Amino acid sequence: MHLTSSSKVLIQGITEPLGQTYAPLMRSYGTRVVAGVSPGWGQTEVAGIPVFDLVEQAIAAAGEVDVAVVFVPPYEVLDAVLEAIAAGIRQILITTGGVPPMDMVQLVRVAEATETLIVGPNCPGIIVPGELLLGMHPAEFYSPGPVGLISRSSTLSYEVANHLTRAGLGQSIVASIGADRVLGSSLQQWLQILDEDERTEVIVLLGEVSGNNEFAAAPHIATAIDKPVIAYIAGRYAPIDRTMGHANAIIAARLAIAGRGQGDVTEKLAALKEAKVKIAETPSQIPTLVKRALTQRRRAAARPTPADPAP
Amino acid sequence: MDLLEYQAKALFAEVGIPVLPSQQIGSPKELKGLRIPYPIVLKSQVRASGRGRAGGVRFAANTIDAVAAAQVIFKLPIAGEHPEVLLAEAKYDVERELYLAVVLDYNARRPVLLGSAKGGMAAELSPDWVQQVVVEETFSPYYARRLALAMGLSGPLVRTVSDTLERMYRLFVEKDLDLVEINPLGVAANGDLMALDGKVTANDSALNRHPDLLHLLAHLEVNGDTEGGDGPIAMTVPERSWLRRVDPDGQLMILCNGMGLTLATLDLVRRQRGTVAGFVNLRWASGGDFMADLYGQLKRGLSVALDSQPEAILVNLMGSGISVSRTLETIAAALRHRGHWVGPRRSTPRSGESLRDPMPTATKSQVRARRQVTAKAPAVLAAGMGMDGTTGLAAGAEEAGVLGTFQGAIAPRFILRVPRLEDEAAALAAEMEAVGAIAVADLEEAVKLAVRAAVVAH
Repeated sequence: MHLTSSSKVLIQGITEPLGQTYAPLMRSYGTRVVAGVSPGWGQTEVAGIPVFDLVEQAIAAAGEVDVAVVFVPPYEVLDAVLEAIAAGIRQILITTGGVPPMDMVQLVRVAEATETLIVGPNCPGIIVPGELLLGMHPAEFYSPGPVGLISRSSTLSYEVANHLTRAGLGQSIVASIGADRVLGSSLQQWLQILDEDERTEVIVLLGEVSGNNEFAAAPHIATAIDKPVIAYIAGRYAPIDRTMGHANAIIAARLAIAGRGQGDVTEKLAALKEAKVKIAETPSQIPTLVKRALTQRRRAAARPTPADPAP
Repeated sequence: MDLLEYQAKALFAEVGIPVLPSQQIGSPKELKGLRIPYPIVLKSQVRASGRGRAGGVRFAANTIDAVAAAQVIFKLPIAGEHPEVLLAEAKYDVERELYLAVVLDYNARRPVLLGSAKGGMAAELSPDWVQQVVVEETFSPYYARRLALAMGLSGPLVRTVSDTLERMYRLFVEKDLDLVEINPLGVAANGDLMALDGKVTANDSALNRHPDLLHLLAHLEVNGDTEGGDGPIAMTVPERSWLRRVDPDGQLMILCNGMGLTLATLDLVRRQRGTVAGFVNLRWASGGDFMADLYGQLKRGLSVALDSQPEAILVNLMGSGISVSRTLETIAAALRHRGHWVGPRRSTPRSGESLRDPMPTATKSQVRARRQVTAKAPAVLAAGMGMDGTTGLAAGAEEAGVLGTFQGAIAPRFILRVPRLEDEAAALAAEMEAVGAIAVADLEEAVKLAVRAAVVAH
């Protein structure tokens, strides 16, 4: 992922209700929205942004773009993203929810073959506070700083960002990777991105009790992530009924054989703890844990290593 | 959403997977017109698994046996579900039973082929025997042959089983399914295959582009599928899971937007030792006027929440552009619609207490609120009179100069979580008072207050 305030952004589905609402908000946040695409709306404008019928026309007029943000209706997402990939765009964010899973399977296959990073579907997107807004994050909850935040859910990201901001802890990148079941990019991928991101000093991971994403992420944190990770898992006491079909149960059982079971909260927390992740019991505990991790990290960085000559 | 066996088999037949001659039976009487030769199998058409063990599958050698068996099956609930229809099917002799499935693995983000040489009940008992092949790239029959061999099959079965899997996969993709399962797949002495039982789960997100599946499921809805029972609000198929009831004795209802935040809120209530009657997760619509849609959902959510007569309702909406005043208007409208009092809150008189008590008017904001409510009072009274025999009460109240009337229970206390309280909520104190709402910026504080309000009311 390569995102700065100079990244050029294309909005697909800019004439859709959410596109029309958020295109100007993204632009007023400082994002360089250079063009929009909406079939049938070529040669028009949305909030001063030129609209084209095809992605290739938009690129011909505005030059290469770095990111496409997709607002098209669910059954048009597959086509819109394939069009963006064909036009050479390699970072694509899908805000739309309810994309049929088999469409996502097809997209993931193409994305892997073309090394395209897909975020979403069903997500408010990414915000780099103070620089760039891709999607629908309400800007008022965010401020720039050292905390990288990854989440599967939208409003819980806002909630936690709000807690951090009020505690004087700004954010480096906030990525909501989506609430649908088949996602374009995984928690592991985003942990890796934040681990490599220079401005991120502490990573906060917001998980949920259902699904296996956090399980898959735990061993990755233990082996590949150097920065401190703090996690909050929502729904620990909530009544979640998992209506699993027979075959789903078999898949789950096979995962159990492979080491990790299906979404049991205790197991999930244990797996994260094993990976040296600090667990927040409530959203309000997150700032406290972040502060502690930041202090420790900065103290460790300030301490001269034996190899360094004393200043 | 799960299809019933006979519906799954109709889909199997469409793609050329062999199924037995069968007939749907709506009542025991219909067995007299049976077109399938005896002996037959009668199977309860419910979605729960384990029908065989529960007694929902019976053999019959003649009409008399069949009618008796059908009478028993129609009366037998399986996991709480009564069959609307039975499936009468020819009996089929098998030499062995296999298990086959195509399912979407959400973590691998790929469809997976599953198979076991030990099908039927055995497959349910030991998932360890089930082999799997992940369909990494575009499907081609070699994936299916790979599975057949992993299952330990040999000879002609390699081709016939992989051919069946190929058809299952086609169905899976064409109809956007979450699951296609055949268990058991019977193998006859001559090597012929037969799908003896099957399960198909349609993906809710894709339903609208499959009119044939919608038609099947609409039929299910009409046929007394009362699961959810969410009152008088008409809901489309994917919305049925909208309200989640948690605890019938719970004191709080939660209306929140976004699953993650809803779950976090539920956890906080639990930490405060509060009890939750249920919750509604309001969703951000992607099309149309999404803001109006959100308030529409709030309105329906409130209506459902008020049905369960909670002591307090916690409304926690996060996002840009969500207006406190519009939220309050929606709450006031929902209350008025119920014939609930909308005005300055009194110190919660319970039934039996006189309605003629003068209203305490202590603060300026209350006075202001009362004035505002006066204009709306007739509507409150009308609603109260129209609803359930509270006419007398309403008249009495009017006579006494009281502006409104309670209909049955007192309206619940509303706790409104307003993340950026300093921006707007302070200006709306009177409106808050009018619907009995307290606005709080901090989520945990809001939860604490909601739990306390519920306990006090109780």
